[in-house]
Amino acid sequence: MEMIIAGLLDSISPNSLMFVFVGVAIGVLIGAIPGINGPMAIALFIPATYYMSALTAIGFLIGLNKGAFFGGAVSAVLLRTPGTPEAAATAWDGYPLTQQGKGEKALRMALYSSVAGDVISTAVLILIAAPLAAIALFMGPAEIFALISLALTVIAGIGTSSIGRGLMAASLGLAVGMIGTEPVTALPRLTFDIYQLGAGVKLIPVAIGLLAFSEILIQLERIVIKGIGTHVTNVFSEKLEDRLLSWKEFIGSAKTLLRGTAIGIGVGAMPGLGAPVASFMSYDQAMKRSKHPEEFGKGRLEGIAASESANSAVVAASLIPLFVLGIPGNLAVAMLMGAFMIHGMQPGPLMFEENAQLMYGVYGSLVVASIFLLVIGRFGLRFFCKAVEIPASILYPVIIFTCIMGSYLAQSSMFDVIVMLIFGTVGYFMRKFDFSYVAFLIGFILAPEWERALQQVVIISEFDTYMFVQRPVAMVLMALTFFVIARTLWTGVKSRK
Amino acid sequence: MTRIQRDTIAYLLIVAFCILMLAWAIPNYTPDYPGYGASPALVPNVSISVILVMSILVLVRNATSRLKGKALPPGESEFPEDGKTTGFTQVGRVKLFRLLSFMIPCALLVIGIDYIGYIPAALLFMLAIQFVIGTRTFVQPIIVSVAAVGVLYIVMRYGFGVPVPGPQLF
Repeated sequence: MEMIIAGLLDSISPNSLMFVFVGVAIGVLIGAIPGINGPMAIALFIPATYYMSALTAIGFLIGLNKGAFFGGAVSAVLLRTPGTPEAAATAWDGYPLTQQGKGEKALRMALYSSVAGDVISTAVLILIAAPLAAIALFMGPAEIFALISLALTVIAGIGTSSIGRGLMAASLGLAVGMIGTEPVTALPRLTFDIYQLGAGVKLIPVAIGLLAFSEILIQLERIVIKGIGTHVTNVFSEKLEDRLLSWKEFIGSAKTLLRGTAIGIGVGAMPGLGAPVASFMSYDQAMKRSKHPEEFGKGRLEGIAASESANSAVVAASLIPLFVLGIPGNLAVAMLMGAFMIHGMQPGPLMFEENAQLMYGVYGSLVVASIFLLVIGRFGLRFFCKAVEIPASILYPVIIFTCIMGSYLAQSSMFDVIVMLIFGTVGYFMRKFDFSYVAFLIGFILAPEWERALQQVVIISEFDTYMFVQRPVAMVLMALTFFVIARTLWTGVKSRK
Repeated sequence: MTRIQRDTIAYLLIVAFCILMLAWAIPNYTPDYPGYGASPALVPNVSISVILVMSILVLVRNATSRLKGKALPPGESEFPEDGKTTGFTQVGRVKLFRLLSFMIPCALLVIGIDYIGYIPAALLFMLAIQFVIGTRTFVQPIIVSVAAVGVLYIVMRYGFGVPVPGPQLF
């Protein structure tokens, strides 16, 4: 109990509150800019968190992520250009409302739905993560190895149309994660006599390169080809009823909002599905259950409530597999996992024993971030709408320069800048060839833990090949892993016929 | 070049990379087996082998489809219209010269910082990258460059207390 109170008090310390507030504000601003999303923002700002305490850093990044999720709705509603895939469904009804001069009303609905979905999801996380983690503590190295293997195969489907290419990307991530000092012999492995690689390839330059730099390269390419102009008109009507969201309108969408939240929590708690799935599922259900399905896509507030409540509910729910099993379910959580590791913590069930105060502090920050999101969104809506109008010719050169100096900032090392440029180029080709950089990054982050579990299994079992048969949970998980791989191969063969 | 031709070349390069890793890099740059636990080469070998096997399967699939005159699904054989892709990936043609035009200033920045210091190298980089993307005015690029370089200088030096890279004038 003392730990809980101490953790919650930490989360409302002035320093922590300030950084969560700044995180949410920057997140909304960044999310509102088309082409920039939450994970990208986290990658760009992780170097800055090196100089913060663990709770402040995590609180700041959580705020950034929550803010960016709502920010994505701003460009979706105003420009029909969702910055993130999960905001696509928001654009379907949000943009028609903007065309009718009801952009502000649509954004208010998006904000209230986001906050409601987020608060309920956070409550569920707080209620179930610790008890589930206590159960997960009974898992040994065999179960952990099998679980990570399963997660890698399931996650391979994110961000690509081909699970096969996802598996290849995850495998490459594992291979890159092997660079550095080998844990058993403590000798350098795959360092090619480059001494800077002795400590391994660092997460920050890899993440900035893959997430931010490669995206900006592609955005710059588009500017050169077409030129990008953003022109927002007719957002704020003079009529009050077009701008404000009445209680009647909000309550009218409450059922849809709660359903969307439930879908978001369910999807978020399962590794590999992610916010876009939740958003589209929720929108689909809202349309099917509506008395006026023909009005969806033409500016119905329920459509926005369905999409935004579901994708925001994923944010907190996707922390459940991270806190309970140490498995990141999506890209944003993988980046948060990296931030935990940078601050000396290994996410997983042991965190509730080893860093209990911090964990309750993180819970507190999650709640605080939701409150700040409501306040910042409510009073800063017009300001954030201006963000979509920043010319790309100014924005992208600044971001590309920030990527370069951000990579340097983490360790004051120009070698990290070179690594970032290499992975930025790799990310560019991965995007162009439909290889999942998400699977790559998650494979890279999980590689050391996966190998550690494998080494423990081999050493404990003394090469007993029946090790997994003796552990039923591990056996089921391994069977599921092989099933996923076999199904992938079978689907590939079937698609030829 | 069609998408299938491009992808075939890419997969052939991936196969060559995997063979190089398995035959040369992993054996030469991995510690010897210490006599207990799993071999340090196990995970690298397994992960690279997965990539190799999957690449070969794709090449075989493409080859047999071609021999039998069967068309691959449009999602595998055609480029989507530019900007029409959704999700995380942006499948499309590689614009190599454009990529180089962005990467060369970045590489020159990394080299230049060591020789002329952060401020001049960064200013030149910002001006160059804005020129490359098509900005042909004078005032805007100068303001953007000075502001971005100046803000990051202040953040690094006074905000985080990090040494600014390269030789310093002051």
